[in-house]
Amino acid sequence: MAKERMSRDVIAMRVAKELPDGAVVNLGIGIPTLVSNYLPAGSSVVYHSESGVLNYGPLAEEGERDYDLINAGGQFLQWVPGMSFFGSDEAFAMIRGGHVDVTVLGALQVSERGDLANWMLPHRGVGNIGGAMDLAVGAKRVVVAMEHTDRNDRPKLVRDCAFPLTGRRCVSLVVTDLAVIEVAPGGLVLRETAPDWTAQEVQALTGPPLALAPDLKEMEL
Amino acid sequence: MALRVAAELRRGQVVNLGIGLPTLVANYTPPDAGVIFHSENGILGYGPHAAEGEEDLDLINARGEHVTLPPGGAVVSHTDAFAMVRSGRLDVAVLGALQVSEKGDLANWMTPEKGIGSPGGALDMAAGAKRLIVITEHTNGGAPKVLKECSYPLTAAGRVDLIVTDLAVMEVTGDGLLLKEVAPGWSVESVRGLTGAPLRVSDGLKEMDFTLPQHPPVNKVYPSAAEAVADVPDGAVMLMDGFGGLGGMPHYLMLALRDQGAKGLTVVSNTVGIARVSGFGTPPSPDLQAVDHSILVERGQIRKAIATFPVSPSPSRPSAFERAYRRGEVELEVVSQGTLAERLRAGGSGVAAFYTPTGVGTVVAEGKEVREFNGRQHLLEEAIRGDFAFVRAHKADTLGNLVYRGTSRNFNLVMAAAAAVTIAEVDEIVEPGVLDPEAIVTPGIHVRRVVQRPAVFSPFQPIKPIEDNGRG
Repeated sequence: MAKERMSRDVIAMRVAKELPDGAVVNLGIGIPTLVSNYLPAGSSVVYHSESGVLNYGPLAEEGERDYDLINAGGQFLQWVPGMSFFGSDEAFAMIRGGHVDVTVLGALQVSERGDLANWMLPHRGVGNIGGAMDLAVGAKRVVVAMEHTDRNDRPKLVRDCAFPLTGRRCVSLVVTDLAVIEVAPGGLVLRETAPDWTAQEVQALTGPPLALAPDLKEMEL
Repeated sequence: MALRVAAELRRGQVVNLGIGLPTLVANYTPPDAGVIFHSENGILGYGPHAAEGEEDLDLINARGEHVTLPPGGAVVSHTDAFAMVRSGRLDVAVLGALQVSEKGDLANWMTPEKGIGSPGGALDMAAGAKRLIVITEHTNGGAPKVLKECSYPLTAAGRVDLIVTDLAVMEVTGDGLLLKEVAPGWSVESVRGLTGAPLRVSDGLKEMDFTLPQHPPVNKVYPSAAEAVADVPDGAVMLMDGFGGLGGMPHYLMLALRDQGAKGLTVVSNTVGIARVSGFGTPPSPDLQAVDHSILVERGQIRKAIATFPVSPSPSRPSAFERAYRRGEVELEVVSQGTLAERLRAGGSGVAAFYTPTGVGTVVAEGKEVREFNGRQHLLEEAIRGDFAFVRAHKADTLGNLVYRGTSRNFNLVMAAAAAVTIAEVDEIVEPGVLDPEAIVTPGIHVRRVVQRPAVFSPFQPIKPIEDNGRG
C-alpha cells in the first residue's frame, strides 16, 4: 500500500540540477555528499570544503588513505590538478564573505519560513554544530536535501522548528524523497512532486500548507 | 645611537625598526646575532640592504628600502604582519619620536602645525610590541623632545619603555624617567639642562655602553615529544586538533601528553575524540585503536572542551567524551566551526572580539551581545588563546618555519598563532633555507618547539590499558 519514495541517490540527482556551472558549492554530510556523483561530465562546479580545500575531485579509491587529503566529513579524496589548500579560518571567511554560491545541507526540520534545524535532537542533549551555522548564514543559497518525514513518518517540514535551530530564514529550496519545495516570502510553494505522488498526498505529510506552483510538475531528473 | 640600541636586542627576539634613525639599528646588529627583523609589509628575518645593482623590487622593507632575505626568512601578508604585532609576537619595536613624555607617551606621526600626518604602522607597533624603545635626538633645534607631557598628537600613551638619545639612555618607570647612561663627555647636569622632565639618576649610572651582547643559540628542535610536552601544567588551555578525524592531528604529541599526565585540561578543538567512533577511524586490526582525544578523556585529563564536533555522529556509538559528559565529569562549550576558527584567528591576531552573523537566533547566541550592521543581526564573539598549541605540520626548519600538506592546514595554522607556547609535530626537520620563504605558511616566530614524528608512526596504536601513571 505504501507508495514508493525516491531513494537518497535520486534526491541527490535532483539536487545536482540546482548547481549551475561555475558555482562554488559546499556539500554537507549525508545525502548532500552524494550530489557530486550526479553532476554531468564536464560540469565546472567548484567544490569547497571546510577542511580547507577548493576544487577537489572524487573520493579516493577504496583502501587509499592519505590523511592529508580529506573533505569535511573526513572522507579521503583524490589528488587532482587545480586544487588549492588553506586553513579552516580562510575556508569560513569564504563562506561568511559570500564566496560560496550554494550549500546543500541535511536537515532534521525546516520551517515554513526557512528556519533550519539540523544539529541536535533535543532528547540527546548534545550535538555537533560543525560548519552548518556558518553555511546557513553565509552561503548565497541554501538547499536542503532530506527525507520528507522522519522514521516515525512525522513531517520534517513544520510550521515552527521544535529542535534547536541552525539558522533562521536561511533555506531557499527543499528537495525531499517526495517533492521539491521552495521557501517563498508567503510560505512554502510545491514546485515538483515525485513520480506517482499527488500534491494532496505530499500535503498530507507536510506540516504547513503548501501553495501550488502554477507550473507544478513531476520531478525531472 | 643606533649602536646603543643594537646592544638592547637579544638572540631570538623579533624586532621591528621604524622609519629614520631606527633603520640604522640593523647596520649594527651582526647577521649572526640571531635577531629576527620584522617588517610590517610582511617580511620576517630580512637581512642587510641589497647591494647596488642587486635590488629586487619584490623584496623591500616597510620603508621601501631594498633588502635581502637570508636562509630562514619568511614572507607573509601585511595582515599577518600586523596580526603578529598585536598578538604579542613582536618582542621589540624601535621607533623615532617627535616628542616623548616621562609617562612613556609617544608622539611621532604629526606636528600640529602641519595639520595632517601619516600614522603608518606606528600606532600598531607602539600598542603591540612587548618592549618599545624610542631612539631620538635629545633636542630639536635646542628644544627638548623629552618632556613632562607631549603637546603633539599621540601615537601611544604610556607604552615607551626605554629612550635612547644622542646624550643619554633613560628608562621610563612608574615614577618618571630614570637616567641610566650618559653619552661620553656629558654630565648629568648638562643632560638635565636639555631635558623637559625631571630625571632621577640610577644608582648604576654609567657612561653609555655599546657592548653587543653574546647569547647562546636558541634551539627549537626537541629530541622527542615527551621532552617537548614535559612542562604542560595541570589546568592548561590546550589548542589541539585536526579536522574530521585523523587528518592533521598531532598524534605523537597527544600520546606524549597522555603519558605526561597533566590533568584538568581545557581542550579547544574541532572534534573531541570522534575518530574512534567514526568510519574513518576504523583500525586496520582489532588490537589497535585510533589516536584521538579519547586517550586523554579516558584518563580523566580533560576538564572542559570547546569544540564544534564534540560527540559521535551516531548516538548509538557514543565517544569517551560523550560518556564522560553524561556522567558530569567534563564541561562542554559547543561552538560553530567558522566561529571557532575565527575566535582562534582573533586570538592569534590580537583582536579581542568580532561580530559574526553566524548563530543569531540559535542556542549559541544565549548571553551574547547582538548588534545590527547593514540591516543584519550579528553576535559578538570573543577571541580564544591557549597556553599551548599542538600543531601538526609537514615540514619545519630549525627556526620553526612550517609548511603543511593538503587539507592538514585546517585548524593547525590558526592554533599555531594563538598559543603562548606552540609545539609543532612534523614529518621532517630541515635547515633554514630549504623551505621556500614564499611558501612558508606559519612563520617561525609563532613556533617555540619542533619535534619530528618517528619515521614509522601510525595514527593507530596498540590499545594501552588505563593505569595510574603516578603523577599527582
